[in-house]
Amino acid sequence: MNLINRLKGKRRSVDDLIFDSINIVIMLLLVVVMLYPMLNTLAISLNTSTDTVRGGLRLLPREFTWYNYQHVFNEAQILRAGLTSVLRTVTGTILGVFASAMVAYTISRQHFFLKKFVTITFVMTMYMNAGLIPTYLLHRELGLIGSFWVYIFPTLIGVFNVIVIRSFIEGLPETLFESARMDGAGEFTQFFRIALPLALPVIATVSLFVAVGQWNQWFDVFIYNSSIPELSTLQYELMKVLSNSNAAFNSGAGAESAFAASQSGVIETVTPQSIRAAMTVVVSVPIIMVYPFLQKYFVKGLTIGGVKG
Amino acid sequence: MFKKKSLSVLIFISFFMLLVACGGNDDQSTATNDNPTDAGEEGSTDPVTYHYFIGASGSDIHTNETEIGGMLEDETGVNFQMEYLVGDLMEKLGVMVAGGQYPDVVVPDHGIDMMLDADAFIPLNDLLEEHGQNILAMYDDYLDRFTMPDGNIYYIPFGPTINEFVPNPNIDQGAFWIQRGVLKEYDFPEINTLEEYFDVIKRYADENPQIDGMNTVPFTGLTYDTSFFTFSNVPNHLAGFPNDGGVMVDLDTHEASVYADSEYAKRYLQALNELNDGGYLDQEMFVMNTDDYLAKLSSGRVLGFFDYGWQFGQARVAIEDLGDPEKEYMALPVVLDESITDQYIDPPSFTQNRGVGITVSAENPERIIQYWDRLIQEDMQKLVMWGEEERHYSVDEDGRYYRTDEQVELAGDQDERRDVGMTVFEWNWPRLNGSFNDGNAVESRRQPEVASATYDEEDRVYLDAYGIQTFSELFSQPQDRPWYPAWSANIEQGSDVALFSERSEELTKRHYPRIVLANPTDFEDEWATFEEAYRNLDVDVYEEFFTNTVRERINGNWQFR
Amino acid sequence: MGVPVRPLTVTEEIKKAKMPRRQKGPRKGLNYFFTKCREQKELLLMSIPFLLWLFVFKYLPLGGWVMAFQNFRPARGFFESDWVGFDQFKFLFQDQRFLEVMRNTLAMSIINLILGFVTAITLAVLLNELRQIGFKRIVQTISYMPHFLSWVVVAGLVSSALAMEDGIINVLLLNLGIIDQPIMFLGVGQYFWGIIGASDVWKSVGWNSIIYLAAITMIDQEQYEAAEIDGASRLQRIFYITLPGIRSVVVILMIMNIGYILESGFEAQYLLMNPLNMDYAENLDIFVLRYGISMANFSLATAAGMFKTVVSFIFLFAANKIAQKLGEARLF
Repeated sequence: MNLINRLKGKRRSVDDLIFDSINIVIMLLLVVVMLYPMLNTLAISLNTSTDTVRGGLRLLPREFTWYNYQHVFNEAQILRAGLTSVLRTVTGTILGVFASAMVAYTISRQHFFLKKFVTITFVMTMYMNAGLIPTYLLHRELGLIGSFWVYIFPTLIGVFNVIVIRSFIEGLPETLFESARMDGAGEFTQFFRIALPLALPVIATVSLFVAVGQWNQWFDVFIYNSSIPELSTLQYELMKVLSNSNAAFNSGAGAESAFAASQSGVIETVTPQSIRAAMTVVVSVPIIMVYPFLQKYFVKGLTIGGVKG
Repeated sequence: MFKKKSLSVLIFISFFMLLVACGGNDDQSTATNDNPTDAGEEGSTDPVTYHYFIGASGSDIHTNETEIGGMLEDETGVNFQMEYLVGDLMEKLGVMVAGGQYPDVVVPDHGIDMMLDADAFIPLNDLLEEHGQNILAMYDDYLDRFTMPDGNIYYIPFGPTINEFVPNPNIDQGAFWIQRGVLKEYDFPEINTLEEYFDVIKRYADENPQIDGMNTVPFTGLTYDTSFFTFSNVPNHLAGFPNDGGVMVDLDTHEASVYADSEYAKRYLQALNELNDGGYLDQEMFVMNTDDYLAKLSSGRVLGFFDYGWQFGQARVAIEDLGDPEKEYMALPVVLDESITDQYIDPPSFTQNRGVGITVSAENPERIIQYWDRLIQEDMQKLVMWGEEERHYSVDEDGRYYRTDEQVELAGDQDERRDVGMTVFEWNWPRLNGSFNDGNAVESRRQPEVASATYDEEDRVYLDAYGIQTFSELFSQPQDRPWYPAWSANIEQGSDVALFSERSEELTKRHYPRIVLANPTDFEDEWATFEEAYRNLDVDVYEEFFTNTVRERINGNWQFR
Repeated sequence: MGVPVRPLTVTEEIKKAKMPRRQKGPRKGLNYFFTKCREQKELLLMSIPFLLWLFVFKYLPLGGWVMAFQNFRPARGFFESDWVGFDQFKFLFQDQRFLEVMRNTLAMSIINLILGFVTAITLAVLLNELRQIGFKRIVQTISYMPHFLSWVVVAGLVSSALAMEDGIINVLLLNLGIIDQPIMFLGVGQYFWGIIGASDVWKSVGWNSIIYLAAITMIDQEQYEAAEIDGASRLQRIFYITLPGIRSVVVILMIMNIGYILESGFEAQYLLMNPLNMDYAENLDIFVLRYGISMANFSLATAAGMFKTVVSFIFLFAANKIAQKLGEARLF
């Protein structure tokens, strides 16, 4: 149209360019800083443990070996435990997110007369911890010990997640719900048809939180189901390998025989550091691979405007 | 309307609860499946699997998957599902005791008081009398040490010394270590005192400021987290006492006294302070974590350090791997003065407050005793400690056991040890110490013949230079300490004595580094500050407790409370 | 049961101030309660089962808190352990290290709180400004990877990064001429809080930013388009659209985290602690571990837990009140 506007446009694009360049530089730096620990861990996991002890490993292994992984896979019941882990992660995530979303929906409704009561009752539990023994006794009374469900029920609802989902649902335009009510939709319909689909970004986020929490959990296996191999999880199996690699060196006889054997120069040993690295890789790769599937929900950005009409 | 609603709510709730309850019950039954339900009658060899929990780390296994365990199962019908600890011991035992549900057999390690307090273990006296004659015979000299004041035996400790005590030919306990090349450089000097030790290190460091392009670290040590005792125990060793815990016990008066603020401690810290002032002390000594420390030792640039042999096995393997024999470390019996006799080598000891017990949950406990009774017999113990004849060891014409190079290698292979059952049975089960009736050491590593088989040409250079057969010969023989080790006293949890231990450690952790790193002119002040703070603790209660413990033990009374 | 007055949103509150309140029937009493129950039976149906769950799994075991007033021994259970009144609390509060422990706890907690929020929000906003979806996804994925490393691994990396001889930080600072002597970072107590803060950010900034990214997606895209037409600069868009758009989420998360004021972390401090920095490293959780759990004193651990709960509630309700006063979103 006129010169001023074109100049304005130009200046904006120059600003943009500067902004983008700075942003990209920051992001690249970030990538370097964040990628380093992973690559370092990978390098350690692929390096002979004896050499790793000397320290100073950075990005590449110095003495390449698959032995640490072999050891981890030999020692642990990886497949069976992995299956249990997947099962608990999937079950726990589906049930947990559904339950959290439902509670979140009710306390997002301004007209719900118990809104404040329910919210406070839930929130308070975030800051109260009964302690290990009372919790254990309760779970024993409920028959949860020695059961798969001890992985699911006690942690079914994460209050943090409830609150997060709630604030998203509250952010949805109220007119949507109103018009649904006009059409005679009940609360369940509003929940399933409006709240859940529109809060998909936060549902994806919370699913990720819950899934990672379930996947990484080993303490409940340790306390409740440690004697039942069928219910062992990947994380717990790997914790076992790790603590055993500590033990191999900490008993006099074990260390001495390992030393004597190593003098002959044939036998490879494992150290906690190497095992820890291999274990980190084994356990984090599957869950990191899940992420891209969820990512599309919150990287692209949904256009609610379209729905709102 | 309201009724209908409340009804549906009720249904929802009951469904929910049902889900909880059902899920629980279902799997509960599979959980108990492993327990012996029908173990049969007396003397039965029907197959049965017991759950054996160990409060220490290890690799879970069924005993019948090992060769030794297989043999024992053939004879007794008993199999054990071994479960080792992964997380925190107190938490695990805490829920076990609170819930009253126990594995059949438990090794509670340092949580044994909690198990005894809960009456979780069954008395074993009658069972041993009836089914455990071999156990009783092997433990004969020690029975009174673990018989409780009520006359009952609730658990069986590990490793009674039978026949002759055999000291370890290699040093697996505390010592001042030195890079062997340093000794060679100065023509194998005799080093007895701390002064001599530091002098030789300083001289070498001055002449070799760099090793393989890296800065030389003349002296360092491990102080990280729970390993701090590696540093704070040193004065005790320098004064010529073995590791009795937080006290040194006078050989004549049997008085126990703390050494953290003793003259010995002060002299050691002062020596380090001077070392630091001269730039010979590792700057990062109090900052390194265990991995950093091991990395430093493995680099081959550390000249000297104090440590317990079993704590730096990884570094030893790594140095061995370097292929430079002069970078390896040799243990020296360093003391403060010539007049002091070193006591680095542990006296024969029997830790009476650790052991394995059968819990109230176990059915037919006599079958477990029968199994143990078989395991403790010499032929089985030889399999556990030595392996199979001709495969893992050989016998010379005098009946002495030794190992060829191949056998050393095979017997050191972790997988082989696990498959044979050497790993699982070597500790946490009734087992022996000392020597067999034929004179061979129970533990193969203590057999001089085995030790020498592992010495190579280079090792011999040092052995010959000092005129010794094994490396531990540089050290004095242990003196007679019938109470040893004092640290195995029954300290009640939460008692003043336990609190003192914790506070004392905290205080030394806070002050020792400051004293060492202080400017030499401030040394006295720093030391005085520490001494004052330390004396504010309840030292007397602690010393009295241990003096009393030692006296009672000398009178043959090990289980007073 | 409950407060039968429905809370008002900010906008409603303004409305309320403007118009006189309509009096319609009794607003209190059982009658009102039952009427509401009938009216909102679906919402009740959706929440009561979970309230029940909450009661069973979260409130019921709180009965175990009695052990804070006992010398609890697992062998004796709650009924036969000795009662000791407030002895456990006294032990905790009267320890001469208690004040120092509290100072460390609060300092690290506040540093982590502020650093955590600022960095995570900044990262989310910057990620949102990236134009290339592919690049954005990759950066984001990489940014949260450290979250999957255990603290043991991270502490090992931190320790080697701060090493005197070949630690990357010292090497950098030396080469840039900022220092002429390597610094023993972990040996100086005063640096400890900063090291913990930085490590925490490193480990969790990417992970924490996920939630803000999700929040940004909920912002109406039309606003950005409108802003572009108005010629708003990128920074203006950030400050006038993005940040206000996620404001309520930020405030809610902030309130919840303020409640965790005494949770300053445990593993990081424990693993990076050493004799030289312990005066600045020891926090409440480490203290409780040493004198509680590891000495099998479950009572002390419970007493400390109760103390934390009380402090949490005070901070939580205060933060919520302040948010309310400021007209911000609130938790309840």
